[in-house]
Amino acid sequence: MTTERTGDRRVEDLLQRLAPRVLGALVRRYGQFDACEDAVAEALLAGVLRWPEEGVPDNPQGWLFTVASRRLIDQIRSESARRERERRLMAATPAAEMLAPGPEEQADSGTDDTLALLFLCCHPVLTAPSQIALTLRAVGGLTTAEIARAFLVPEATMAQRISRAKQRIRDAGATFAMPEPEDRPERLKAVLHVLYLIFNEGYGTSAGSSLQRLDLTAEAIRLTRQLRTVAPLDGEVQGLLALMLLTDARRATRTDAQGNLVPLAEQDRSRWDAALVSEGVDLITRALTSTRLGPYQVQAAIAAVHDEAESAEKTDWPQILALYETLERLTPNPVVTLNRAVALAEVSGPQAGLDLLAALERESAALADNHMLHAVRGHLLEAVGERDAAREAYRTAARRTRSLPEQRYLDARARRLQP
Amino acid sequence: MKFMLMIYGNQETWSAYPAEEWPKAIAAVDAFNRKFFETGELLGAYGLADAVQAKTVRVRAGAPAVTDGPYLETKEYLASYYLLDCVDEARALEIAAEMPYAAENAVELWPVMNEAAPQL
Repeated sequence: MTTERTGDRRVEDLLQRLAPRVLGALVRRYGQFDACEDAVAEALLAGVLRWPEEGVPDNPQGWLFTVASRRLIDQIRSESARRERERRLMAATPAAEMLAPGPEEQADSGTDDTLALLFLCCHPVLTAPSQIALTLRAVGGLTTAEIARAFLVPEATMAQRISRAKQRIRDAGATFAMPEPEDRPERLKAVLHVLYLIFNEGYGTSAGSSLQRLDLTAEAIRLTRQLRTVAPLDGEVQGLLALMLLTDARRATRTDAQGNLVPLAEQDRSRWDAALVSEGVDLITRALTSTRLGPYQVQAAIAAVHDEAESAEKTDWPQILALYETLERLTPNPVVTLNRAVALAEVSGPQAGLDLLAALERESAALADNHMLHAVRGHLLEAVGERDAAREAYRTAARRTRSLPEQRYLDARARRLQP
Repeated sequence: MKFMLMIYGNQETWSAYPAEEWPKAIAAVDAFNRKFFETGELLGAYGLADAVQAKTVRVRAGAPAVTDGPYLETKEYLASYYLLDCVDEARALEIAAEMPYAAENAVELWPVMNEAAPQL
């Protein structure tokens, strides 16, 4: 990598980091989330174009804020019917702030603004895809084109989705303000869910196609780190960050060179990212001992047990089983029970796992049709030596999945059991 | 999640359709298209030409052989297709039910396979 490229990359990282603070500060002063968002996007573009040439200004956040405010004012001026709004806008702006602040005048850290912005982007009036798109754009500082590529939809579609989301926020009269203290846990849960979905979208991408797609996994981790700096005491924020790090640590080994899936037990553990594992383990250990327990923390703890096992055989399955039981109590859901069946089979033998699957299938019609149930059953039947039934289960699972790599994996398992 | 919404029909149905009804039918489909382009859930809508215009291509011993007509020798054939991008299957079914042709005959909904590996 040449020095120049490194420089550009540094500018882009800096702009991305500053984007939510500038947007937050702008919305706090002027309201009008949608207009402010456009103005910040233009300011970021100006930064991308000018900073690599002219050098980064002494107070980059102040520079962006000034450029964005001017754009916002220009935009409002150009709408001649809105003279009155312009007058009020000008009146709200202290004259000194129309000048770029000097290097000694550091703007405030903007942490509360970042949090308020996340709450706004994950507002309950929006659907999950809209929350995701808006968060990546407004907090992540990504362009519409980048987000569209990441989700494999046309740019026009994504632009539409983002502009409708902004419209909905305006129609709902949502304001840029911290939610009431009693609403905050619920709203924070929505933010965590959006970050979790962004991570999953990136993690689900197979290695080959990630070349064209933006790295959503890294983006989700970056945003969750940012959330942690503004909500440092929340156990679930720490739990989610730990879960992401501990999962991402295994990324290089989960597919082989041909893009085929490699199950956890067969992955080359020496290639797991030790730095990510140790950061994740530290985080989750501290969270578990000092904050209230929640589902992300339990999932991170499970990932930590896997990551810390020297080999698949040395995995502490009784502990994993206990953690899945805890998770099931916190968030009862058939997929968690399915995972518990896998752990139970490791602790008490495959037949115990198969019995639990049968009970689960009777209880949940949706799960009976789910490919994961049949894939697990295939593995357990194979373990008890029922080769024909195992092959059938793998085939059933392969027909029901929508993921091509997974289908290839399941078909390969079925073929191995051919008489 | 991406889905393919498909309309099948046969020559008799299309030919029997009264000419004066077409503008209304087209307007209904246009309204459907506009509505879901607007929500960002419709990625593309494509109507296919008449079956007599379809060609089937086979390569044998390295040489392509082109024959007239569709590959499937059925009375029913694919008439148009729509690519959707929705949150989940329930939403895709909701959209399918709004497709005007669903009220006349039937529409078919298929999930599109993706390159993504399963999630943990």
